[in-house]
Amino acid sequence: MRKRSRHVSLAILGAAAFGLAGCKSQETDAQAFPDEASCVAAAEEGSLFFTVEDCRTTFAEAQQNHLETAPRYDSLEVCEEQHGEGNCGGDPAAAQQGGGGGSIFMPLMMGYLIGSMMGGNRGVMSQPLSRTANGGFATPSGDTRLSTNTGAGKAPANAFNRAPTTMGQPPMSRATVAQRGGFGSTAASRGSYGG
Amino acid sequence: MERRDLPERPGWRDEAERLGFTFADMHGQPYWDETSAYVFTLAEIEERIEDPATELHALVREAVDRIVADESLMDRMGIPAGFRDLVAQSWRAGEPELYGRMDLAYDGEGPAKLLEYNADTPTSLYESASFQWLWLEQQIAAGVLPEGADQFNGIHEALVERFTQIAAPGTDIHFAAMADAPEDYATVEAMAWAAREAGMGAHYTDLQAVGLSDQGQFADADDRVIGTLFKLYPWEDLFADEFAAHVGPSGVRMIEPAWKALVSNKAILPVLWQIAPGHPNLLPAFFHDDVADALAGRGAGKAPGFDAVADQMAAGHVIKPIFSREGAGVRIVEGGDTTEASADRDYDRHPLIVQGYAPLPVLGGFRPVIGAWIVGETCVGMGIREDASRITQDLSRFKPHVILD
Repeated sequence: MRKRSRHVSLAILGAAAFGLAGCKSQETDAQAFPDEASCVAAAEEGSLFFTVEDCRTTFAEAQQNHLETAPRYDSLEVCEEQHGEGNCGGDPAAAQQGGGGGSIFMPLMMGYLIGSMMGGNRGVMSQPLSRTANGGFATPSGDTRLSTNTGAGKAPANAFNRAPTTMGQPPMSRATVAQRGGFGSTAASRGSYGG
Repeated sequence: MERRDLPERPGWRDEAERLGFTFADMHGQPYWDETSAYVFTLAEIEERIEDPATELHALVREAVDRIVADESLMDRMGIPAGFRDLVAQSWRAGEPELYGRMDLAYDGEGPAKLLEYNADTPTSLYESASFQWLWLEQQIAAGVLPEGADQFNGIHEALVERFTQIAAPGTDIHFAAMADAPEDYATVEAMAWAAREAGMGAHYTDLQAVGLSDQGQFADADDRVIGTLFKLYPWEDLFADEFAAHVGPSGVRMIEPAWKALVSNKAILPVLWQIAPGHPNLLPAFFHDDVADALAGRGAGKAPGFDAVADQMAAGHVIKPIFSREGAGVRIVEGGDTTEASADRDYDRHPLIVQGYAPLPVLGGFRPVIGAWIVGETCVGMGIREDASRITQDLSRFKPHVILD
């Protein structure tokens, strides 16, 4: 019986290149709309990756997503700092539950981004958009930022990943780093740390 | 086992450079050396190296199971009190091991003897799994080695397979090494390619660039949350780092798991000897504190089983700090005299163990140490390093091997 691998990985690319090789996010066709009607109008002109029906289902999906994943703030003032004046409102989910609905604020949904599913899957993904402080637009995770909510282009497929609803973020999501350099100091005088 | 002179591949240095194997020469000395190679038969590999190493790994797991239930043993093994739960939990939760390298003394005649087990941060993975493999393929193609030549080197494929067993498809894994350590980086990248081939998201970050988020999670240099962290950095050093206390609460999954701090620890050698005294692939080993007086001729040893091997130990033993790397802090004592000692004293703060001395064979003026690679729980390949000195150190050379029947 053969004792060696059929193939191996031969090259060491170096840290910078390794990150790029094979790791670049796949891009997909994407288009942003301020509302459902403008999506439907575009779909009726035809020859796109989405249909009128897609516009309707993804708009409903984006609305629900917005409700579940948009950032929440405890004052209108802080919300407007992040999203611009006039771009925030009360949290309807909290208001429905009755308890203190008036004191939780979130950005208003200002359109949605739709994208073609990857890997030959026929289907359309969506994410809601809200305003950013500098006048642009962003998905709830804040990872995907657009300067406008009307236009077509390419977006990384992970732009459509759902933002986390719970505390403790999923791997590869954006974190706010409070401190660095807490690893490596004990052994930092050696030339090699393995053996 | 035989050491056979062979022609070098013309232009291999250029190829090494092209492939990014930048440390083929180190400190002005060759590190990769293919002017000769070690030759084995298939039966020798399987019966003398592969099967015993797999069996030793099973014994190691038995030892870990015993140690995590024994606080005083964890103490003797240098595990800080604050991290004993982390270590024990990782074992009880069944956190799976990825890889390790056993260093074996093997003279071609008697059974291979376990010198130590770097089960936490073994390097030379790239040389073993990839460059050595390329050497064999090219030497066969060049007619230097016959068509039927083989090599004990299923390392890469075994790693790919192992990743699929221990992580869900598409898991994002961060691979971290200390910056500016090219040998370490090569091992990490070789590992990361195997992870990608297994369908994982593999990302690299310098270990020092890892940050702690406002939610208590670790993040990479680009602020992305780290869910799984492969770190080429020893647990015993990590325990002393500022971020160590955040490892548990952060929810990060560590590879190797924390229980490897007990395996990549020379204090496991006395535990193994207690479990399996006389095992053909083990050397007698004891905590230094228990037997120092006896070795100096002042009374009986305080460890069970010492008397049975007292003569063998007096004839020759090796004193090793429990956490040393690359032969640092190692001392060989024969007939009461120190006959060889490493100049590196970095590890002197660590407790010591004593192990029976198994002289390495001398072939062509060099002393080879067999590196038996374990992936998961199985021995899957081999890399050989040889040194002119009796203590294998960081100036040792990597030598390719071939199976010829």
